[in-house]
Amino acid sequence: MSFAHGARDGWRWAIPALLLLAPFLLWPLGSMLWRGVAPEGVTSGRAIAEVAGDRFYWGRLAFTIGQALASTLLALLIGIPSAYVFAMIRFPGRAIARAVVTAPFVMPAIVVALAFIELIGDVGLLGTLWVILLAHAFYNVSVVIRLVSGVWANLDPQTEEAARLLGAGRVATFTRVTLPALYPAIASASALVFIFTFTSFGVVLLLGAGGSFLGGPLDTLEVSIFRLATRLVELPAAAILSLVQLATTLAALTLYSWLQRRTTASFVLRADRARPLRETSRAERALLAGVAVMLGLLIVAPLAALVHGALTTGGDGGVTGANFARLFEDTGRVSYIDPLQAVRWSLSFALGATLVAAVVGTAAATAITRTKGGLGPLVDGLLMLPLAVPAVVLGFGYLTTFNRGWYDLRGSPWLLLAAHSLIAYPFVLRAVLASLQSIDPRLPEAARVLGASPWHVWRHVELPIATRALLAGSVFAFAVSLGEFGATLLLRRREFATMPIAIFEALGRAGEANLGRALAMAVVLLLVTTASFLAIERFRYREVSPF
Amino acid sequence: MRAISAIAVLVASALIFAACSDDEGPTTLTVITHDSFDATEAVIAAFEQEHGVTVTLVKGGDANQVVNRAILNSGNPEADVLFGVDNLAFRRTVEAGVFDNYKAKRRDEIPADVLAQFGDSTAVTPIDYGYVNINLDRGAELLAPSTFEELTTETWRGKLVVEDPATSSTGLQFLASTVAYFGDGGWQDFWRDLKANDVLVTDGWEDAYYVQFSQWGGDRPLVVSYTSSPAAEFLFADPPVDRPPTENVIPGPLFRQVEAAAVLNGTQAEELAREFIDFMLSDAFQKQIPETMFVYPVIPGVETPDWWQWAEVDVQAATLEADQAEIDDWISEWTEIMRR
Repeated sequence: MSFAHGARDGWRWAIPALLLLAPFLLWPLGSMLWRGVAPEGVTSGRAIAEVAGDRFYWGRLAFTIGQALASTLLALLIGIPSAYVFAMIRFPGRAIARAVVTAPFVMPAIVVALAFIELIGDVGLLGTLWVILLAHAFYNVSVVIRLVSGVWANLDPQTEEAARLLGAGRVATFTRVTLPALYPAIASASALVFIFTFTSFGVVLLLGAGGSFLGGPLDTLEVSIFRLATRLVELPAAAILSLVQLATTLAALTLYSWLQRRTTASFVLRADRARPLRETSRAERALLAGVAVMLGLLIVAPLAALVHGALTTGGDGGVTGANFARLFEDTGRVSYIDPLQAVRWSLSFALGATLVAAVVGTAAATAITRTKGGLGPLVDGLLMLPLAVPAVVLGFGYLTTFNRGWYDLRGSPWLLLAAHSLIAYPFVLRAVLASLQSIDPRLPEAARVLGASPWHVWRHVELPIATRALLAGSVFAFAVSLGEFGATLLLRRREFATMPIAIFEALGRAGEANLGRALAMAVVLLLVTTASFLAIERFRYREVSPF
Repeated sequence: MRAISAIAVLVASALIFAACSDDEGPTTLTVITHDSFDATEAVIAAFEQEHGVTVTLVKGGDANQVVNRAILNSGNPEADVLFGVDNLAFRRTVEAGVFDNYKAKRRDEIPADVLAQFGDSTAVTPIDYGYVNINLDRGAELLAPSTFEELTTETWRGKLVVEDPATSSTGLQFLASTVAYFGDGGWQDFWRDLKANDVLVTDGWEDAYYVQFSQWGGDRPLVVSYTSSPAAEFLFADPPVDRPPTENVIPGPLFRQVEAAAVLNGTQAEELAREFIDFMLSDAFQKQIPETMFVYPVIPGVETPDWWQWAEVDVQAATLEADQAEIDDWISEWTEIMRR
């Protein structure tokens, strides 16, 4: 197995992650949980009993897990065929299409809600489980597409050809050769989508409002935690539910990581530009058309509705740029946020967070592959925890721990950067880990036999192969920072307001001009995001050279 | 291990940079406000010039969240002045002792019934007030309901959207009005009837107003909002309109939301903080309150703009005596009734 190729320096590779996790996750989180559970032993004992004895919360836990599994399945069903198309079929506008399908990732939930309504024309679908699953697919399909197509495009076609030559049919070749090679990527993507939908907040809050399923509200644990934590008196219950959320995520991830190690088939990945895109067959053209329609309806249509809304809100219903002009009109109010400054700050945070995430995530992935035996999955689970921490708990935690003397960072952009980095690196970790685990173990072993040190093996064998995955992960790290809202909302300052904050500000008041400004800002966010993704893609093809 | 040392350097320099940049002494006054806070640049700049300071504004969530932050940081405040604590959220601050008493210079000009909303406490200084009511979308061409009771009739089935009082101060204000109107026992029945009449609950004002209200995204012609929202719709209409597209519905006596400012206990700039509170009661600041925050100035007789007529309503103020424990009980009971 690939993680046991002789290197035993796993712990050293975990240091960057620990440097980030200890101050910016464990400390504030521990402080909040302690505050919630510890002060009055008796009260908290009662609170635990109350929460544990409350069927309502058991129902929420079941609903949260169920909808996350369903959302993950849906994202896979749409994402895997799409991944094939993006990996194997040459079609015009591929780069732009790939950038656009990833753009939903950064969209604030309220903007998505408005776009869905604009698209569907009425709100009948709101408040149903279906709209939540659909929105989760809208947000997350790109995770599957990016992670899976990255590996798919990298598969050495000779192995598949060999299987065919040996008499395997198309189906058998796919299920017994191709699919096993894709398992790590599919599993990685599933794990990310699962955590993301398990801790889903804005989508559930906005699109699920008023809905019910099997007799309970459409609330995830994250939503319940938010409701409890905003009332300080309920902090003990919020802390207990947070622990449940963390424990469930940790258990799921550890199980997943353990399964992945058992099932992963090593495969020959190549680090170069991978297989040449072939002529497309008829079946592939049909698949291309099918995927285009599917992604068109799921992703492009709501985004187009958003753009349409921004161009027509206000005025006589005709197309107008008035809302965009309004963005740049200084209102002379202290609430005014210069859109260019917002773009600049968003990009600065995203760039910074991506750089930190690339280093921390890659090192952490290496740490996991180099950790012996049964400990690996647990380490893996622990390193993914930043995605499972309730935003409101982390936000309050930051405000109450970084609050004294030299570490009084309240109001510092660095604290925001740390928060963004923290939730960005798991994406790099998952992507790079999937790639590292797919490497044929004979490759690094050969290097070791030839006298390379573990560092050299990593630098000259593993890293080049993982570079493509590192870039795929970086795209999401970038996106996650661009769209981050929960922690940003608590740590924001007008002096470094990001694009999502500018949208939120505009929606804080009644009136058409305010709605128009919010929609226009959302379109700016969409454009900046797409352009950034395209820029990262270009970097990917220019800078990555075969080793 | 180049990567690791790079990270170490990054973290160290970040901490050093942050530590330096925050050490600005008493030349800065930090004011934490609720999200709806706004003011003209000019009026803030005037204060800055007069006192030779820079005013840093921190938006800290709605009235509840701002108070939460003050309580969590009790004695070690993240700002010098807090603005946005309202007469309901105020109850929680009393026990926590997060404010320093200050008797503002113009305090005597504030109407007695407004001061009474805070039990005449000098820990806070009222700055403005507003009313949470129901807004009707004129486009729905329906005759506005005139009582709370009417909202539970068949005519209004599936027509109203309200905010959750546990997460939204708007929602809490509306709940307070119904508690004041129906009394204990009655308000619970009223909400049960509303639930049976397919009322929709959202977590915040933004989603109620822009996503569910039929004036914008949704299909519900009644929304719990503010008596000043029609005036805002008038001001921000594009193209301009003769009258607002929405109208105020006054279903009964309304609980008055009074927003106040306070000096945070533990501030290093107490004198400046007090001066800022006096400044918020000055004519210059009070005058721009309607156009920036869409609420009513607390000093009587302050001149208001013409379009503010759409916010002028004839409201009978509801009276309500409740301590924090009672408010918590309302929310818990409401949650039991509406959310389970």
